[in-house]
Amino acid sequence: MLKSIGILLFAAIIVWIEVPPLLKKGYKKELIVFSILLAIGVGLGIALGFGKNIPNPLDLLTFVFKPINDFINFLTT
Amino acid sequence: MMQDNKINSYQFIVLVILFTIGTAILTVPSVLAVGTKQDAWITAIVGTGIGLLVIWLYTTIAFWFPNLTYIQINEKLFGKWIGKTVSIIFVFMSFLWTSSLLFQSGTFLNIHMMPNTPMIVLNILMAGIVVMGVRLGLETIARSAEILIIVFFIQFIVLVIFVAPEIKFENIQPLFEVGTKKIVQSSIFFVGTSVFNAVILLMIFPAFINKVKQAKKSFLIGNLIGGIVIIMIVFLCVSVLGADRTARSIYPSYELAKKINVGDFVQRIEALMASLWIISLFFKTALYFYASVLGIAQILNLKDFRPLTIPLGMITVVLSVIIHPNVIEQIQWDGTTGLSFSIFVGLFPPLLLLVVYAIRKKQLKKEA
Repeated sequence: MLKSIGILLFAAIIVWIEVPPLLKKGYKKELIVFSILLAIGVGLGIALGFGKNIPNPLDLLTFVFKPINDFINFLTT
Repeated sequence: MMQDNKINSYQFIVLVILFTIGTAILTVPSVLAVGTKQDAWITAIVGTGIGLLVIWLYTTIAFWFPNLTYIQINEKLFGKWIGKTVSIIFVFMSFLWTSSLLFQSGTFLNIHMMPNTPMIVLNILMAGIVVMGVRLGLETIARSAEILIIVFFIQFIVLVIFVAPEIKFENIQPLFEVGTKKIVQSSIFFVGTSVFNAVILLMIFPAFINKVKQAKKSFLIGNLIGGIVIIMIVFLCVSVLGADRTARSIYPSYELAKKINVGDFVQRIEALMASLWIISLFFKTALYFYASVLGIAQILNLKDFRPLTIPLGMITVVLSVIIHPNVIEQIQWDGTTGLSFSIFVGLFPPLLLLVVYAIRKKQLKKEA
């Protein structure tokens, strides 16, 4: 619980620092991308704080690259 | 907005040196020693040679369009959609490698210096300075690299001189025991870790360099110097520790620093030597992170990449904790899937670019 409050506080500080200059310059697209990334970051952080299992992107890569790995193994042995 | 900071060719050499040395200085000796035993240093020489060829390919590609970054070149040559797909895979790689390097620096500090500190704290500290550096821009990173490379090389020379008396030539005999075929095969790993990943340097080369003509050489020279440093480290590891011990330890070059003993007085200065690794790790991580942030900004046609740094830094820290369960898995993964992924991203798109450029050359000249 404490961890997620800390992460939310941190996120609030980031928003407080980053958003006003963006609004002032009128960068709409940047603001959208920034919010999406921040939401992902906060979500992952809180999930990690509660000790939830986060899917590992490397597992996907291992699955996709298995044929190539086998091919390289075949070449190098 | 994005073009406002440029670095000169000397600063670029320094960045390339630190990038090439990066993680290779920590992990490469043991992997090479597993494959080719006492001939590991010959493998490193072969690897550097192959690496120079790959770098030459990258410089050739970069010089077709001296004002564009890699992602813009992709989009120009492959067209909008295929170009963006290739770029997304590229950004995904550099982003994954950022977290992987954070994991490596975290475990290194955790194992050798601060065993009681949770790894995520060390990762946050490292990510903090990386994010700070990238926010301040490429020029700031390059200037700090210019200062820290002096510290790096002084320490490196001290390490080499102090360890040199311990060299036992019996350790590297007999020469060429494993045969040429095996040496070339093992050098693939070396090329994979330190050269194919250099494709991310195409994000700053040559678009952010002020005198482009001299810069072509500087890429090759930087890579060569980095390669020589690694060859020396591998040679010292094998000849001082022996092939067997090099293959068994996770960080053989750190074991090497423990061997320093000058007149029974200067001993155990490996903690000082660790700053060598921290410096090179920091710059490699910063360059990866810079490439991924700038890459995302350019794929989405954003005007400024700075707002994205802190949220992406948060994601990187979380990823760095979950990405590898332990060091053994990381080393194993780096040798198999990581290697294939590096080759897939670092070799095939540039070769494809070569083919597409040859076909579309006339059309592109008409447009320009």
